[in-house]
Amino acid sequence: MQSMSVVPASRPVPDRASGVQSDPAGLAVCARGLAKSYRNPWTLKVSRGLAPLDLEIERGQVLGLLGPNGAGKTTTLKLLTGLLKPTAGQAWLMGQPIESPESRRSLGFLPEQPYFYEYLSGLEYLEMAAGLCGIPGRDAGERARIWMHRVGLGERPALRLRKYSKGMLQRLGLAAALLHDPELIILDEPMSGLDPIGRRDVRDLILEQRDRGATVLFSSHILPDVEMLCDRVAIVLEGRLERVANVRDLLQEGRHSVEVHCSGVTMIEIPPAWGGQVTRRAVGDESTFVVEQEHLLNDVLAWLLRAGARVRSVAPQRSTLEELFLSAADARGERRSA
Amino acid sequence: MNALWIARNTFREATRDRVMAGVLVAGLVLLAATQIMSPLALGEGVRLTVDLGLSGISLLGVLVVVMVGTSLVSKEIERRTIFNLLSRPIARPEYLLGKWIGLTGALWVVAAALGFALWLLLALRGQGAHGPSICEATYLAGLELSVISACAVLFSSLSTPILSALYTLGLIAVGQWSYDLRQFALHVPQPLGTLLSVTANVVPNFPLFNMRTLAAAGETTTLPHLAMATAYAVLYGGCVLSLAAAAFESRDFK
Repeated sequence: MQSMSVVPASRPVPDRASGVQSDPAGLAVCARGLAKSYRNPWTLKVSRGLAPLDLEIERGQVLGLLGPNGAGKTTTLKLLTGLLKPTAGQAWLMGQPIESPESRRSLGFLPEQPYFYEYLSGLEYLEMAAGLCGIPGRDAGERARIWMHRVGLGERPALRLRKYSKGMLQRLGLAAALLHDPELIILDEPMSGLDPIGRRDVRDLILEQRDRGATVLFSSHILPDVEMLCDRVAIVLEGRLERVANVRDLLQEGRHSVEVHCSGVTMIEIPPAWGGQVTRRAVGDESTFVVEQEHLLNDVLAWLLRAGARVRSVAPQRSTLEELFLSAADARGERRSA
Repeated sequence: MNALWIARNTFREATRDRVMAGVLVAGLVLLAATQIMSPLALGEGVRLTVDLGLSGISLLGVLVVVMVGTSLVSKEIERRTIFNLLSRPIARPEYLLGKWIGLTGALWVVAAALGFALWLLLALRGQGAHGPSICEATYLAGLELSVISACAVLFSSLSTPILSALYTLGLIAVGQWSYDLRQFALHVPQPLGTLLSVTANVVPNFPLFNMRTLAAAGETTTLPHLAMATAYAVLYGGCVLSLAAAAFESRDFK
């Protein structure tokens, strides 16, 4: 199954590049050379918002967009949702060109730090959101009530939005993005500013949408959440798509080590033949041996057992997405300074 | 259909704004004040009541446009509430149309409420026969406010609330004097005369909507006048909104 590609060679290299471009009609998101630059009206100086971007997302996938502040994540999402006009390139959502409002027919979008009409109640806002997605009047009201309950706001439907907390507003925004059962969901920092319970609720909602078969594209700074939710990640740095990869592949290609926790070996010396590949951390009678190369594990375990160690656990370690993201950011910085 | 959802929301915004309640109260106070001044009008109390009452409808309507309408779109951009709307299957011209319909609806409510209050006051004074002329004058004031709100939507979609208010007020001032400007253009040397003449023809022809003098005398206007004013308002408003839509189409919302 083709999932995502980033071409050509002058642009960031994808994990799996294909010379053949897919038909946009079969994809949830397709961008070809999508770029944005801004011209200062007074100085006429042009600044880049997003370098030409090629991106393909298969229907039903969850893609996380990673990048530091100002990297171009929000620009990418706003271009796709029609809030910004591209200066070059083309893009399609669910097979429809983004210039057409029809491209947003099956789209649910949650902007970063969403703002709402303070004079409306939550129920009124959701009714309007449903109506704008083409749900007729009475059904819009019914759908709004259902989603008020689903996001835990159903107890006080007439409460004006000016009295909502940040977490409540975020949940309302999610309800507004999801209440028409969109096939494509784009969320800009959906967990930003939420407490742990709020983050869990948002995670659950995203997982629910994924299970329903919806395509989800979201940006986040919270890497463990991205790691947990996404099939694939795209790393954006300094307005350029740096890397797109399958999360599992990305993590597997990272650092692999195994930690062996044991006790009763306080006086043992690590054989010099393993120099640097096996290290030890000791606290009292407890020791943790870090085996950097998996192929040494059997030898290390045999050696520990011969020495009379009581092995408590053997835990494989892997790079976190955060480490991989930071290494990509560092590599970008080094390339730029070179 | 989408434009109607936007219109409904804009109508709610306008009617739930304190400005609207303040304007209605101010209008009623103005009508009450005319009754205090009537005895001083040397037998022209009814004329004074009608003239001031109808002027109040126009002025207070303009106040609503300036206070609410000129920030209608720019406030949405500034507060980013527009993200929640334009990321849905709605074309930008539909959005602007909805904003205009909502604001205009609120202005018609203000005009109708104050027009009805004026007629009620006159009826209580035994002058209920002024009903048709007040009705016509209120209708024309509503058309005038519809054109002004279209201009406010245009400016609001391109500029900041303060500049939009200034542009709208400037346009109203020039539009009110468009007849005089046209006459004045005949008596100044070229090319200034041509420039003034073009300006007088481009700005809204607000005197077309003014029948306060007739109404104060208890007279009605002609059907062709009403038809022409209606057609003019529709055409002028349509042109202004089309211009706004064209300019709004390429805007970025950062």
